[in-house]
Amino acid sequence: MEDNAALVAPRAGEVPDSALLVAFANGDAQAGRQLVARLGPMLFGCAARVLGDQGEAEDVVQETMLRLWKMAPDWRQGEAKVSTWAYRVTMNLCTDRLRQRRARPQVALESVAEPAADLASVVELMTARQRSETLDAALSVLPDRQRQAVVMRHLEGFSNPEIAEIMDIGVEAVESLTARGKRALKKALYGKREELGFEDDRKQS
Amino acid sequence: MTGNSRDDIALETLFEAGRSERPLPSGEFLERMAARADEAAARPAPAARPVLRLAWLGRVFAASGLSGAAALGVWIGFVMPEAIDALTLEGDDTVALATFLPGTDLEAILDE
Repeated sequence: MEDNAALVAPRAGEVPDSALLVAFANGDAQAGRQLVARLGPMLFGCAARVLGDQGEAEDVVQETMLRLWKMAPDWRQGEAKVSTWAYRVTMNLCTDRLRQRRARPQVALESVAEPAADLASVVELMTARQRSETLDAALSVLPDRQRQAVVMRHLEGFSNPEIAEIMDIGVEAVESLTARGKRALKKALYGKREELGFEDDRKQS
Repeated sequence: MTGNSRDDIALETLFEAGRSERPLPSGEFLERMAARADEAAARPAPAARPVLRLAWLGRVFAASGLSGAAALGVWIGFVMPEAIDALTLEGDDTVALATFLPGTDLEAILDE
């Protein structure tokens, strides 16, 4: 799996995020632009997966960056990583939005019938795009915290301690969330096989 | 191979596809974010409001004044006890008490 640490940590010879933020606080607009280029796509990708809506992901990232600019003059180097701070804000904003969406019907995972088809054989027949879309659809029925943990662990490539820091919980709680999230994902995939196109794919094959 | 491990493999296949099909922001959105950064960098950091600053200074002076006066009193009493004696009233305590309790027969009270 791609390690997100490589995405977040500056490459050799690259100015660290925290130094860019200090430069930005001193009026260096170019430093701000570099932070947008570094953090923007990562935060957007994560928020889009968690929210399942790219428009809302844009709003969340925009709010995160505005808060970063406001906080820049008070940033104290060495206390935390800028990216960790930004992910935490983004995830909290995602949580707020997901709570506002409570009217959305949730799939009762416990009532899902036992699988009639083998998931692995169905997934094998899918294109990469179909697989990604299937995953997004299944992620959308997970409880909020499980979805965040699964996205960060299995799609963003964060380590469990990094997720623990972002979500402000213990490492064991992260392990529990990702394990339960994966179990719920499998159930969701079987339970929603018709909506996800399992039946159609089998007919086509 | 058990069904569960086949499911795990299927799930990992989906994760792999998810990682390769990562949602990306539009160039227009990133440019808008960069423009916001330009605006924010051009804006000077907000200075503390003068009223708040004065209020803060007032609190500092009040706190330091009280503690300073207390410390000064202790210090004077320690290094110049004779100066304290000079400030106290001459005579006995009855005279001093009478000033606070006018019209009271202190002698009668003390005799009881």
